[in-house]
Amino acid sequence: MKKTSKAARFGVALLAVSFIAASCGGGSDEATEETTAEEPAAEPVSYPTLEECADVSYDYTFTPPASAGMTVTYDIAPEATWEDGSQITAADFKATWEASLNTPGSISTVGYDQITSVEPGTSDKQVVVEFKAVYAPYKGLFGSLIKAASVENTQDVSGDYADSIPFSGRPWKMKSWSPSQLVYVPNENYWGTDKAVAKQLVMVPLPDSDTEAAALKAGEVDFVYPQFYGGIEEAFADPNITLKKEFGGDYEGFYFQSKCGPFANPTFRKAFSMSIDREALFQQIYVPLGGESPLQCGPIVPGPYCNGDEFANAYDPAGAEAMLTEAGWSKNADGFWADPSGNVPDIRWIINTGNTRRENTQAYLIPLLQASGFNVRADNCDAACYFQQRLPALDYDMAMYISTAPPDPAYLTPSFTCDQIPTAANNNQGQNSTGWCNAEASDLLHQADYETDDAARATLIKDALKLMAGDAIMLPLFQFPKSGFWRTDKVGGPVDGELNNYTAFVNNHLWTDLDGDGKVVIGAEQWPECLNPITECANSSWMVWTTAFQVMPGAYATTNDGRYVVTNLLAGEPTVVIK
Amino acid sequence: MLRYVLRRVLWAIPTLLFITFLVYVALRTGTDPVKSYLRINPRATKAKIAQYIEVNGLDPNYVRGYWSWLRNFVTGNWPRSIKGSREVWPQLKDALANSLRLGAAATVVGIAVGIFVGVYAALKPGGRRDVAVNTSAFIGISIPPYVSAIILQLLFAVYWSRWFGDTLFPTSGVYPPGQVGFDPWLMAKHMVLPTLVVAIQVIAVYARYMRSSLLDVLSSDFMRTARSKGISERRVLVRHGMRNALIPVVTIAALDVGAIVGGLIITENVFSYPGMGVYFLSAFAQGDFPLLMPWMVIIVASVLLFNLVADIAYAWLDPRIRLG
Repeated sequence: MKKTSKAARFGVALLAVSFIAASCGGGSDEATEETTAEEPAAEPVSYPTLEECADVSYDYTFTPPASAGMTVTYDIAPEATWEDGSQITAADFKATWEASLNTPGSISTVGYDQITSVEPGTSDKQVVVEFKAVYAPYKGLFGSLIKAASVENTQDVSGDYADSIPFSGRPWKMKSWSPSQLVYVPNENYWGTDKAVAKQLVMVPLPDSDTEAAALKAGEVDFVYPQFYGGIEEAFADPNITLKKEFGGDYEGFYFQSKCGPFANPTFRKAFSMSIDREALFQQIYVPLGGESPLQCGPIVPGPYCNGDEFANAYDPAGAEAMLTEAGWSKNADGFWADPSGNVPDIRWIINTGNTRRENTQAYLIPLLQASGFNVRADNCDAACYFQQRLPALDYDMAMYISTAPPDPAYLTPSFTCDQIPTAANNNQGQNSTGWCNAEASDLLHQADYETDDAARATLIKDALKLMAGDAIMLPLFQFPKSGFWRTDKVGGPVDGELNNYTAFVNNHLWTDLDGDGKVVIGAEQWPECLNPITECANSSWMVWTTAFQVMPGAYATTNDGRYVVTNLLAGEPTVVIK
Repeated sequence: MLRYVLRRVLWAIPTLLFITFLVYVALRTGTDPVKSYLRINPRATKAKIAQYIEVNGLDPNYVRGYWSWLRNFVTGNWPRSIKGSREVWPQLKDALANSLRLGAAATVVGIAVGIFVGVYAALKPGGRRDVAVNTSAFIGISIPPYVSAIILQLLFAVYWSRWFGDTLFPTSGVYPPGQVGFDPWLMAKHMVLPTLVVAIQVIAVYARYMRSSLLDVLSSDFMRTARSKGISERRVLVRHGMRNALIPVVTIAALDVGAIVGGLIITENVFSYPGMGVYFLSAFAQGDFPLLMPWMVIIVASVLLFNLVADIAYAWLDPRIRLG
């Protein structure tokens, strides 16, 4: 009874306050009406939440250029054999195609889904690959062949390679794999002249930079390939240790998720992007790493596919302010940009916890962005949660990460086209984790996959990059250095020869065992938890560096300067016929 | 005593079932095993998903699902890991063996030294040795394992190799790279540093326990009575003092050992030691239900087992306690 009476009194008081507030607010309502009467009404920001995003779909279809297809004919070198002496034949190409295309959980079907048949030509040593249409990045296909005889069913190899990759078409063959080491021994049946020099190649897990430095300094490992950070040279300083640093295909950037959340509003996204002073950030974060200037290309490293100024001069805080004001946004009492309905967007910036450089970036940039009126907050989680759950689910607004670009720009198509945004249409399995859909850019990227003329292809890619810059879907930050450290008293030969290569230290079969302990030992920063080179197991650079690239032969190899070259698996360049 | 043990073992079975059921529910709600499977096998067919659900006992009804999982578990029909489709037992067995070896070595060394140091300090309370032991124990407890690990690595591996040309103790792994087959000497050498890191903490903690417990006992009436009977001081200390002081220490020790089976996550990581801690972290990061459930069962079972051991040890050390 007493409670009811108190509640009633509270209700009356609340009502009274509401009336007072309403009467006080009348003036401002009128003012707003006056303002809106003079200026065109701005639409309040409305964007789908993560839950609502599940129903967002895109009306985009790419119509491939009319073509009767393309045939690529590979002639396998007559002497090319597997580790048991059996011939490498067209059947192995076919098995690779079928396994990549049909295995549930295949890491990528891109490119293989353009092939209609893989058959032997004039002999088992000739492979005729038929494509539905022209497929320009064909050199990226058949880069890691599986041995047909190593699997029972080429349509599904997800249950294979549980404990070993039991075949090899390269100088090493895998002897054993466990949670504590990977052991390779020379492949006696390797046909090439570049045979393995050391008696054994051993890889051991060294999960972090401190452990790597201790193990290398103690002489327990001969070589490590750590991710670069400020002060790394000091951390590894030792009279017997040398290093090589090169700028390769790794680049770091900010990504703005534009399918749902506040960055689904293009004006807000663009204004936010224009408020980030990359030059100042670069001085703060990347100059200590040896950086000279921010990356300007976009999600690609400098080379033939970018002019190098696509994202230049993106910082324009005054322009950002004018743009938002013109769209009806205003700053609220806390100094944050609020849309015309008064809503202040909550911007969730995700990085993987424990990454000091990214945490420092957040610590530096968040206060500046907040001072510019953007309600940004750190919303981090561990690497597995970040890369395997939240990025694929587009459960973020802003992200920061490093990507490794292969030499061919074909990777841009699955990453940035409308049809690759995770939606119900593609069973939410699309790889475009920025959620960016620009039909014109998607067309350009798809067309690039059909263009075999290098110059014309480069123009298409550059045009797509300009559209990315215009739509502010990302901000490139830094072409990240790759660094290798090794013991000069324990390992010799061309240790520094391929450190910039997409396949990293793949030339380790040529390294010499200087200390005569019978082995070359490499410390691996990430350990391959499983070995299947076709499934998601291979969704890690370290997995393929330490396993697949060591034993699986391929038609083309990448070079240290980012080109594709024919390997000794083939007798020569394949014949390409466009129909 | 035998009846008591039998009864406790029989009680342990429903307890184990109940706790594993709770763990099963927690893992299902916390990691969503089907989602984890689809994340790693994004293009899995409906048949494959159904098969995964079946072998893992992931029935929408938790009770039915748990019984299905339990049936598979008890009959040895363990599902393969989500990532890499590997058999679970060989991985778990290796990780368990590594952790048990490390945990047992560190516990035996740590508790033995800790008890000795605690007794040594308690014999002259307030004296120099007591102050020295107390200070050292506080330092030992305060140093995080990753700090002591790095200091020991630097000292016995990095600088040692610089001074003397070779490392005294290795910094990582169970064996040197490339080693194939069992070699107890090499294995022991690789265990020295991680064992020391864990033992530092154990020594510090047990020195404090033992000192405090023995000081309590030494001031008891029965100790005065024992001395008044003319028994030698050494015998009074060992037969009456230490035996009674050990009772709470042994109880805690048994429980600690049970927890060590779960792995020494930080130490194992710093020394790249493939034990239960590393196993758990990797499995949990992937949400790998087939790897996680057996790990949980082993942890629960070991805690129950060492609880029983603690009770038996308690009764053995204190004749006043009658189990039954």
